[in-house]
Amino acid sequence: MVASLAACGGGGDKETSGGADSGKDGGKELVYWSMWSEEEPQAKVIQEAVDKYTEDTGVKVDVQFKGRNGQREGLQPALDAKQTIDLFDEDVNRVNGSWGSYLMDLEELAKDYEAEHGNETLFAIARNAAGGTLKSIPYQPSIFGFFYNQTLFDKAGIAAAPTTWEEFDAACAKLKEAGITPITGDTTYMTSFMGYHLGRYLGQDGVKALVNDPAIQEKIDAGEVEDVNWDDPRVAQAAKDIEDFAKKGYFSENIASNVYPAGQNQEFAPGEAAIIICGSWLPNEIKASVAEDLTWGYFNYPSVKDGTDDNTANNIANQVFAINKESKMAEEAMELITYITTGEFDKKMTEQSLSIPADKANSDAWPTELEAVKPGFEATATYYDWAVGAENNGDLTPVLNENTVKLMAGDMSADEFVKSCKSAAGE
Amino acid sequence: MKKNKGMIIGFLAPAVLIFLAVFLYPIVRTVIMSFFKISSVTDSVDLWKFVGIENYQKLFATDIFRTSMMNIGKIWLLGGIIVMTVSLLFAVILTSGIRGKKIFRAIIYLPNIVSAVALATMWLQYVYSPKFGLLKNVLDKLGLHELAKTQWTAPDHVFWALLFAYCFGMIGYHMLIWMSGIERISPDFYEAATLDGANKINQFRYMTLPLLKGVFKTNITMWSVSTAGFFVWSQLFSSVTANKATIVPVQYMYSQIFGAGNAVTERNAGYGAAIGIILCICVVLIFTICNALVKDDDLEF
Repeated sequence: MVASLAACGGGGDKETSGGADSGKDGGKELVYWSMWSEEEPQAKVIQEAVDKYTEDTGVKVDVQFKGRNGQREGLQPALDAKQTIDLFDEDVNRVNGSWGSYLMDLEELAKDYEAEHGNETLFAIARNAAGGTLKSIPYQPSIFGFFYNQTLFDKAGIAAAPTTWEEFDAACAKLKEAGITPITGDTTYMTSFMGYHLGRYLGQDGVKALVNDPAIQEKIDAGEVEDVNWDDPRVAQAAKDIEDFAKKGYFSENIASNVYPAGQNQEFAPGEAAIIICGSWLPNEIKASVAEDLTWGYFNYPSVKDGTDDNTANNIANQVFAINKESKMAEEAMELITYITTGEFDKKMTEQSLSIPADKANSDAWPTELEAVKPGFEATATYYDWAVGAENNGDLTPVLNENTVKLMAGDMSADEFVKSCKSAAGE
Repeated sequence: MKKNKGMIIGFLAPAVLIFLAVFLYPIVRTVIMSFFKISSVTDSVDLWKFVGIENYQKLFATDIFRTSMMNIGKIWLLGGIIVMTVSLLFAVILTSGIRGKKIFRAIIYLPNIVSAVALATMWLQYVYSPKFGLLKNVLDKLGLHELAKTQWTAPDHVFWALLFAYCFGMIGYHMLIWMSGIERISPDFYEAATLDGANKINQFRYMTLPLLKGVFKTNITMWSVSTAGFFVWSQLFSSVTANKATIVPVQYMYSQIFGAGNAVTERNAGYGAAIGIILCICVVLIFTICNALVKDDDLEF
């Protein structure tokens, strides 16, 4: 605290000596609120990049590692109170959605950056999230889908990763036959599982309409989006598919009691279960405990028969950096973002946190654990939100999650699932 | 004594001003907020949209809020009975002159100095684990193999798992309050009662219990206040989004103010304020009822 006060004082004294575009002004200080916690590998790489930036440019950086909750609770009040924060980061949809009105438009400022480093897919997602213009710089992309243990697949004699629901069914049957638990997961991610499955039949807007996402009601009223309800036969079919898997015993017997991270740590990592639904942050989270013989495999959520979307529609998300529109040091902030998200430090991030590179120049620097993710990631043409929108109605999510878990555990039938969700949705 | 108004005002003013700014202002503001739709908790007043009592109407019509009130009600009542009974029992045993009182007291109080996050993680990932959990092992050893297979953290059992784990941590705290009450009662009374032929049970029933009424009220008050703010345990037992089985009002309020889980959901700080007001009214009601039912000024000792 004393140090930062002193730094501010120094800045005040020297203010006359340099404008906002002078990077060599030793008294200047950028303030960066980070979504990472200090002990996370991402934070360590970011700290290194920041140190290098300060060393090269002389601009000091006050990095505050707030963590996810700290950022979510504290950022907006701080911005409202006009606290000096030049740049911050969080999930692409939260930054552009919840905090959209605080962001600087980066179309001009990031023009060169995008030409040199920009990954097309990620920039398209960032623009889409901000309503068509660029207000954030993506990094740490992730995809949500099925990870599997290649060693167990080989043992069960599965030749190729499934792409359709039938192939998925067949693969699970082989695993079951070989005495391996086919699917595990943590309850936290099960609404996403259901969201994906419903999304394959209904498309993302259909799922949002189904769960009564308040944000899509206008479009439904205007007739732009079909108003899907719980009586829809496609919804019944989706529930039946999961019920069928449950009956065949494809889900781990602990599927209902796997409170994060029990499923990934106690069942997938040691090689007891072959397939798990998760985001591509999984290899990083369980790197300390995976079985020695585990070879990472991945496939996108499979297509279903007569579905609206196929397996090229996926939930690709990423963290983004944004610059406060009130910032007087936008160019310095952009330069710092460039230090963190490109070249050497982007590469380091992929190594330390086993993540997907953001800089297109690093496109072959994917960590080995995520090699299998690359084709699925690159084949993605439609970009889903988190849980394919199934969690967009906070009042329904707890019920939808519980019902999905019960359906998977065989404690609830498909009909009961639909009925219970319908009643909770007030239909 | 001559009254000096200037002095009185001078000494009172700082405390009154601080009270007004720190307590009264937020309370009044929260009450006002509950009649508005406010997307961010720090939005300036010109962005507030007046909705009358719509927030309250919506709350009472929302299933998940009613579920959360039911859950917190169950935690308060059932948890309260468990914690009060067990902690009183321990307090009576520890004050009865047994050996190693200090050690037992420290052991029973210990969970209170461990962070709730660490405690909940221990219960969730270790005690309740269906793979290598403490419960599973103990039940297996006892030959109760069917019971050992129970999925304690599955939707059907997770509420009880949560309640038990929470009560475990709260017993020590309330035991200390009971003990301080029991130790206040003069040993002469018990000596006299013993000479008159009263056994331990009768002493407890006719002396200790009536003389503990005031402490009972304190305990109920402390229990109600901590229950109304119940949040961390529910949050940890459900990880990212709330669970239907364990959701409590404060958790629901949090999700309405800061967003629920990973998805970007609608936020309304006014709605959150309304939840806060309802909780506040509940606590005041409990105090009032408790004060009316338990009279502790009829005995002097």
